[in-house]
Amino acid sequence: MPSNIHTSHRMVFLLPASIYIVLVVVIAILPAMSASTEEKALEVPPVTPLAAWGRELYREKYNCVVCHTQQIRGDVRRRNEVDGSVPVLAADARFGLEGPTTAEEYAHQEAPMLGTQRTGPDLMSIGIRMPSRQWHYWHLYKPQSVSPDSTMEAYPYLFSSEKPKAVGDAVPEKVELIEGLGYDGDELWATPEAVAIVEYLLSLDRPLARKNR
Amino acid sequence: MVKIPVGIPIFVAAAGVDNKFATLVHRYLLSAAVWLVLASGVGLFLAFHHVDPSLLPDIAELSYGRLRPVHTMTMLFGWASLALVGLALYVVAKSAWVPMHKPLGKVEYGFARLALWLWNIGIAAGIVTLCMGMVNGGREYREYQWYCMAPIAVGVIIIGILVYRLMARRGVQGVYISCWFILASCFWIAIIVVMGYLSPWKTGIADRIIDGYYIHNAVGMWFTPLAVGITYYALPKLLNKPIYSYALGVLGFFTHIVFYTVIGTHHYIFTPIPVWLQTVSVIFSVAMIVPVWASTGNFLMTMKGERLAIRHSYSLPFFVVGVIGYGLASIQGSAESLREVQEVLHFTHYTVGHAHFAMYVFVSFLIWGAIYGLVPRTTGVEPPVMLVGVHFWLALSGVAIYVVALCWGGHVQGNAFVDGEPFMESVRAMTPFHVWRFVGASLMTVAHLVFFVSLWRMRPGAFSKAFAQQPGA
Ligand code: HEC
Ligand code: HEM
Repeated sequence: MPSNIHTSHRMVFLLPASIYIVLVVVIAILPAMSASTEEKALEVPPVTPLAAWGRELYREKYNCVVCHTQQIRGDVRRRNEVDGSVPVLAADARFGLEGPTTAEEYAHQEAPMLGTQRTGPDLMSIGIRMPSRQWHYWHLYKPQSVSPDSTMEAYPYLFSSEKPKAVGDAVPEKVELIEGLGYDGDELWATPEAVAIVEYLLSLDRPLARKNR
Repeated sequence: MVKIPVGIPIFVAAAGVDNKFATLVHRYLLSAAVWLVLASGVGLFLAFHHVDPSLLPDIAELSYGRLRPVHTMTMLFGWASLALVGLALYVVAKSAWVPMHKPLGKVEYGFARLALWLWNIGIAAGIVTLCMGMVNGGREYREYQWYCMAPIAVGVIIIGILVYRLMARRGVQGVYISCWFILASCFWIAIIVVMGYLSPWKTGIADRIIDGYYIHNAVGMWFTPLAVGITYYALPKLLNKPIYSYALGVLGFFTHIVFYTVIGTHHYIFTPIPVWLQTVSVIFSVAMIVPVWASTGNFLMTMKGERLAIRHSYSLPFFVVGVIGYGLASIQGSAESLREVQEVLHFTHYTVGHAHFAMYVFVSFLIWGAIYGLVPRTTGVEPPVMLVGVHFWLALSGVAIYVVALCWGGHVQGNAFVDGEPFMESVRAMTPFHVWRFVGASLMTVAHLVFFVSLWRMRPGAFSKAFAQQPGA
């Protein structure tokens, strides 16, 4: 009797397994390989070690990704037939004066943080929209100090009342005290971690998109 | 005079089951229930965070960014996976007609227990490392470090081998469709986890292609087929009648493999991922209606005309909710993949509403139905009916509030994005919906505590104690 999936446990294993493997190759492995080949040809501006550390903290230690996206979506349905450009999707217009994000802008980044939720604003171009270091320190120390009703969590443990030691390029910075911080000490210092995270945020200014404009 | 305890038919049904097997299944389920209660507490904490973070402590270990993956990973790999695997072992043994007085050999028992240990250690280590700030960030549902996922992966492989051996030892010629779904999922999840952790494409768009594949296959090729496979056994069994159409089940199985595998990129519509991948994902997301309704329709037709049985059963109502939940959550998912819908709802809390619709109303309710329906057949003890009723109504009303609040709120949030209002408007507009979500989530959490007590009352050995206490026994 020929063995089939109804009567042979071996077939119950082999048939679904082999169909699945073929599909995974077609839908995930081959596309990833070709995207990876295209990526190799792309050149990206150098990243400073400080910003790279900031990104690591953002992604791996504080996991800011859960509330913030880094992608400006392009409306492929309204592609310009003449020059092939794609307009920014209406819902993302506030973040996207430089156009939709491209593969180039994510090239050579470990786990690009396109994100899934906009509990907070998109940060792809935060370096352009908010270039002030002090603002970011206030905001990290207590988001409600600069953005009333914010539901972002506060990171007071990235600050200290005494001057902390520098770590490599990350030199602690003094935070200007403003009313809303609710801080009653004499001095407030941004720790090396805070300095690195803010350096990373400021580096998010879409150099490639601006260059191509 | 001998008084007959209430559970006597159940006791007879369970009489032939190896006590070691009953204990094994119960330990899997109990572990799952512990993780469920723990992760519910974490979920409640997160839900409150959206209402007013200033009332919560600012501690790095308890920060939102770390606790969110703690919640999702514990729910997915602790609660849902362990519960499904525990039930699957029983379902495979039964539907393969393996003699229940000795379904597994001594060494196999050892391995089954080892798998549970590895699994629990993986989850515990995952929670600790995430809280310490070692997060595989930006990679959803695989935020664990590799060394926390590795024990779980070994556990899955052990379970897969045990399932295969049980099937090989079957007492009938045919292999029932429940076994297809269960064995295949064990293989699929092993591949998925390997792809998720060992894929060599870790940067740029290639990494995101793998990410879309991973996220969706983890849900669609693990939780869904396990829950469906278990239902194919449990539902006809509890109704004491055959499944409505076996052929429909076969159609559902094969379309499930082909359609579900290829739709991962629907998490990345309008991104720089090649447009053909996006289009394929949208088309097959809509085509998912076929496998989903092959199963849902099949289950509904099986339940047709059984109103009386359902009303008198404490486990079948969970199946009614779970089956309808599967159908509706999947239609919702198909709709969400459309570009017009994505434009407004992607990035909003609507997605979270959908995630809970699927994982809770569909998967978790089917798990509970199967636990209440099948565990008494292994341990001989029925749960306190009153508690099961409380569990059912609290969970159902809780999740209804939860899902409606977030789906409605998601619309409001999404429209605020499209209308270009100041961003903070989208945050402020969500607050009342987050309050309602917190209310719903509280009811769900209480339901989980009640469930834990019921499961504990069904533990092996509880019957003989109850029996011994009967006067005159
Ligand atoms: C619980 C979700 C949540 C987490 C986690 C979170 N944020 Fe936010 N974030 C928000 C919300 C909500 C806003 C909008 C209100 C505001 O400005 O505070 C915001 C705003 C911001 C802004 C200002 C954006 C703008 O366009 O004005 C920056 C910068 C920022 N977050 C950085 C971070 C960093 C860095 C982290 C991790 C260390 C982080 N966020 C973690 C929710 C979050
Ligand atoms: C008491 C019960 C529960 C509570 C209080 C709860 C709460 C939460 C919260 C607050 C979030 C974060 C959402 C956000 O960012 O706004 C979340 C996400 C999530 N939860 Fe739950 N949850 C519960 C039960 C469950 C169960 C039982 C499962 C699965 C079996 C589950 C799976 C998920 C998933 C997959 C996400 C991520 C959703 C996404 O990224 O789109 N939850 N939950």
